[in-house]
Amino acid sequence: MYPFGKGLKRYVPFLFLLVPLVLYIIFYFGPSMMTVIYSFTDIKNVPGSELKFVGLQNYYDVFFSGNSGERVDSIIRTLYFMVIVTIVQNGLALLVAVIINQKLKGDYFYRAVFFLPVVLGVAVVALVWSMMFDPLSGPVNYLYNALFGYKDMFFGSFTHAFGYIIFVQIWMYMGYSMLIFLAGLQSVPKDLYEAGYIDGTSKWQSFKNITFPLIAPSFTVNMLLSIIGAMSTFDIILATTDGRFNTRTMAYDVYKETFRGSLEMGLPSALSVVQFLIILVFVVIAVKQMRKREVEY
Amino acid sequence: MVKKLSAVLLSSVLLLGLTACGGGNNGNGASGGATNGSSKEATEKPASGEKKVVKILHWKQENINKAIQEINKKFEEKYPEYKVEYTTTGPDDEFKQAQRARITAGDVDVLADLSGMRLSPKDWTPGAKVPDWQQWIDSGLIADLSDQAFVKNYNANDIAKAGTYNGKVYAVPTGKVAMSGFFYNKEIFEQNGLSVPTTWTEFIKVLDTLKDKNITPIVVAGKDVWPLKLPVFGLQAKILGGGDQNKWIEGVWKGDAAYNDAEAVEVLDKMKTLQDKYIIDGFMGIDYATAPSFFATGKVALIADGTWDAPTIATANPDLKFGYFPIPATEDAAKNNSLVGKYDVTWYAAEKGPNKEGALKWLEFFSEPDNYTAYVKAAGFLPTQDNVQTDSEFIDKELSPYLGGDFELAYEILMINRVNVGEHLAAEGVHTEYLAPGGEFKTAKELADVQQKEWEAAAPK
Repeated sequence: MYPFGKGLKRYVPFLFLLVPLVLYIIFYFGPSMMTVIYSFTDIKNVPGSELKFVGLQNYYDVFFSGNSGERVDSIIRTLYFMVIVTIVQNGLALLVAVIINQKLKGDYFYRAVFFLPVVLGVAVVALVWSMMFDPLSGPVNYLYNALFGYKDMFFGSFTHAFGYIIFVQIWMYMGYSMLIFLAGLQSVPKDLYEAGYIDGTSKWQSFKNITFPLIAPSFTVNMLLSIIGAMSTFDIILATTDGRFNTRTMAYDVYKETFRGSLEMGLPSALSVVQFLIILVFVVIAVKQMRKREVEY
Repeated sequence: MVKKLSAVLLSSVLLLGLTACGGGNNGNGASGGATNGSSKEATEKPASGEKKVVKILHWKQENINKAIQEINKKFEEKYPEYKVEYTTTGPDDEFKQAQRARITAGDVDVLADLSGMRLSPKDWTPGAKVPDWQQWIDSGLIADLSDQAFVKNYNANDIAKAGTYNGKVYAVPTGKVAMSGFFYNKEIFEQNGLSVPTTWTEFIKVLDTLKDKNITPIVVAGKDVWPLKLPVFGLQAKILGGGDQNKWIEGVWKGDAAYNDAEAVEVLDKMKTLQDKYIIDGFMGIDYATAPSFFATGKVALIADGTWDAPTIATANPDLKFGYFPIPATEDAAKNNSLVGKYDVTWYAAEKGPNKEGALKWLEFFSEPDNYTAYVKAAGFLPTQDNVQTDSEFIDKELSPYLGGDFELAYEILMINRVNVGEHLAAEGVHTEYLAPGGEFKTAKELADVQQKEWEAAAPK
């Protein structure tokens, strides 16, 4: 009954566990903690410059300096982005997954097509849609004009650019969520449906009472991924509008302050800590809600 | 409880990865400094027969890159003990990022900057941000070039204006560009009996004539936003402070002038007129790379662009006859008669790079009149060395008439911004894109009022 041996040998497995733990601390936990510490200092990205603790000054600057209004706008915009992306992306993905799961002819083909944008990557997707949405020669504007006699500025519009970014984001990651749902759907035991059929369930009832509770874990994963993903999105914004035309989000602000602002790193650190806390709150709420729904038959 | 706790922990761990991305880069400064010493030792004592590497960092700009590669080749031939490692990155922000990373890590010898020295705080700008180059010099990262003989090859005034800090020379500005004007299609002008306008009224008349003949007057690459600043630089230089924008800028800091005073509103209003009536429809969707094709193919009569783009336009249509004139900002023809610009590519040598001596050697070689001339010709810059013949008809005939007196610098070079100033004034601009058709502001005054508010909100406390 001593699977790990006796005496000091007992500690050998823990020694092995130590390796990933140390790596994790060095490459993830350490830098993250440094960001938190930096957010209380006036650190500069200049070698040899002195480091002073400035207390909450950076946090004060985030919320109460000349351009804080824009940062608050960014936070609100991020939440808006998160809510829409999470709902629409997962709703669509579930719908598509259920349809594909109906033993459709060529289901592999559809699966590949919907997953393709994920493989393409942000840069390619941004390029494709910038071309589709070209206000002067793009096909979408041609279509708009032919159908409604209307022309849009797309990524160059102060009012519509952010909407189009949401669209592209959903288009890009819908396939990913779909794949996770599909995996969940395929693990639902068939006999449950048979039992339900004998009891005379309608299609909707069998979805609501059998499928949905059983794929709840996939649902949790998808929700979490899209909440975290949406709230930390900046790549697609960088590649399409570069934060112009009212499209800045929290994560974009962090990027901008870090790499394009001044050499001072205190403010961007404070900004990323604020971002972390906001995301944490939403993720914890989401996890608690989701866990309630998960069942096992 | 355990389950709850584990949920919190799990999500924290997932999220930490996120913040770590930002954090890792912040750490760069510290770790870069630490490794600095060892890498330096490694290259200072090369194994016998090994070449000493000179690392040059620059951005991608094809015509200039080619010229520098030529110079590098000649340099390696003349000094076989050196090997040049010439790295180029994407322009602007991408370059700025690379610049910071490399100088912080002590991994560069010769460093290009996007303009000459600018935006250094003055005694009337309390709380202003210290620009990167100045912080680097202050912390001893940049080599002092004052005693180098090659500095004397350059025009003393240019070195004083764009390369001198605290009485010492730290940088070599390699050329000037003008940017406050329009390229115009000479054929279209001739066919319609138009001549180069010298006052604002004449300018509007020219634009109206073009419009009446169904020719789109102007194209600007609005999608990138910054090209909209170019004509505005001309307006600002001639209108603000009655033609002395330095006075106006100092006034804004001291409260004697304001972003919503009559002069500043006039600047915005004139640009708004152009954007509303004379610039091509949908210009906010045209990016900088495609804008010249509208002009080169004769679809529009004028393009607002900097003189550095002359080679691009000439390549796009070799048969096109084009000229350049400054935006006639006011009704005073004599005042309008000059161009506003900036210093372009400016070299710094790293003090703590792996090979400072090689950097100075390279700069010396670059500054030799023959090499410099080849470079400045390829770049299409106005030379900063005296007695250099550019053999460019465009520069000699089109630009020289407007560059008589002292070289006038643009607003973005002179304006010292307040820290955390709002987005309508950020990046040393006045952002007329917000006035564009579809923008948020219907009148120039509305935007001006917001700007003044943002300026006051950013005042040091």
